[in-house]
Amino acid sequence: MAKVLFVYREPPMDHAKVSPEQMQQMMQQWMTWIRGAMDAGWMVAAGDALQPEGKVVKGDSVITDGPFAESKELIGGYSVVEASDLDAASKLAAGCPAFEVGGSVEVRELMNVEIPE
Amino acid sequence: MSLPSQNSDDGDDSSDSLVEHFFRHEHANLVSVLSRVFGLARLDLIEETVQSAMLQAMNTWKQRGLPKNPAGWIHRVARNRILDELRREEVFRRAMAEVAIPEEAPEQLVQRWLEGADLSDSLLRMIFVCCHPMLDRHSQIALALKVLCGFGVHEIARGLLLKPENVKKRIQRARKKLAEESIAIELPGPEELQVRLSAVHDALYLMFNEGYSTSRGADPIRDDLCEEAARLCHLLCASNVGNRTTFALLALMLFHGSRLESRTDAEGQVVLLEDQDRTRWDHDLISVADQWMQKAGLPESRFHLEAGIAMLHCHAPSIEETDWQSIIGLYDRLAEFNASPLYRLNRAIAIAQCGNESDAMRELILLDEGKEIDDSILLDCAIARVHQLSGDNSAATDRLLQALSRDVAEHERELIKRKLAVL
Repeated sequence: MAKVLFVYREPPMDHAKVSPEQMQQMMQQWMTWIRGAMDAGWMVAAGDALQPEGKVVKGDSVITDGPFAESKELIGGYSVVEASDLDAASKLAAGCPAFEVGGSVEVRELMNVEIPE
Repeated sequence: MSLPSQNSDDGDDSSDSLVEHFFRHEHANLVSVLSRVFGLARLDLIEETVQSAMLQAMNTWKQRGLPKNPAGWIHRVARNRILDELRREEVFRRAMAEVAIPEEAPEQLVQRWLEGADLSDSLLRMIFVCCHPMLDRHSQIALALKVLCGFGVHEIARGLLLKPENVKKRIQRARKKLAEESIAIELPGPEELQVRLSAVHDALYLMFNEGYSTSRGADPIRDDLCEEAARLCHLLCASNVGNRTTFALLALMLFHGSRLESRTDAEGQVVLLEDQDRTRWDHDLISVADQWMQKAGLPESRFHLEAGIAMLHCHAPSIEETDWQSIIGLYDRLAEFNASPLYRLNRAIAIAQCGNESDAMRELILLDEGKEIDDSILLDCAIARVHQLSGDNSAATDRLLQALSRDVAEHERELIKRKLAVL
């Protein structure tokens, strides 16, 4: 089995414009999806969402503030899933609520290689 | 439409879903209470703060699941945020001095006013603020939908069929006025209570009608308007502020609400009363409405009379077996309150249903000639119906075809086509 990281990417939203009802709908979609994945057993860690603010540190010790408005997508959160391989894991991402808002899921297998005896 | 019930401030137990409209209603609770503590002049800051607390809740819960007490969680976050924000202001000390009960720390005040009876009290006060007679009726409704119901500007615009900029302007103007006049968030005193209450009734009635009116097609947001009007009205009824007219208004909303779902078919097309599937009416809601009707007592307001008519429809097994004679009597009494052409139109239909089509037609023709009905489709359908009742299907068809030849909205065109198909 491969351990795979889901990185949820979403276009930045206009925080002032989201209505409470929309927030509830979005949250409910996520909760339902995550709960379904956990119950099905293939999601091993629900992970967490990220604060939209952040910093970017460059090698020459220049630190800039996020959010990274110039990018079309922001990392909104991550989870850890288990699947036979990368392809199978990619299929599991179907139905992720990130797609509803035009986002995407980056699917990356963890290195985690067993060293042969 | 779901039954209006008291807001519970402890939310439900940790399950995997929240009660319906939780975010919207908590938004309203928080804005009402925080405004009561920190003043209407800070409404902008308060709304921003509540918005960001809600976003934080959404992002925290979406992957990790709900906390034990979601409402308490949001209240704490919002309260801390606004206090942080105010402390940052130079004017914090001054702000605190203005707090209604200065000997109690604002933290405790927010906490206390967000609970149980105090929460209802805060919302009640806010109802009277939003429906202040200083504001015009349409601003009252836009403001109430924003502040008391937690709708976003775009949702309000959809519900009221206005442009979002228009809604925004109305709300801004209303707020400015409230701030300029330093309107206090309190219940009106005994000497003006009845007048102010009557303004609240009118605003809630209009809010309900904005949602209920069939002339605008179906959109789920419009059912929400009805539900919210009933919720606020119920809040008044459950307090010691509401009077028998309030009870009648609530009964009216619930009788109409029981038919909300049967007013559209599977394709979302509008279905008129005479064609509705009565088994789809919400009979639980009807019996709750009956109870409020009893409490409302003898008819003393137009809401009593309108509710009486709605009640007769709700209890009738079919269009034919409706007590039309009593309905005519109620419309006669309504005319004493308000000579509305819509009352006259509906009264004419009742007269036709009683078998007196020629009298009915005379009245409808008068209305037609006087051009007193804005919604001409309603009049076309009424005239066609009376023709049909008197057995003249070809005149009915002519009238409906005439209606089709005019510039009508898509959903109205559909409605008329369906009527034509069965003639």
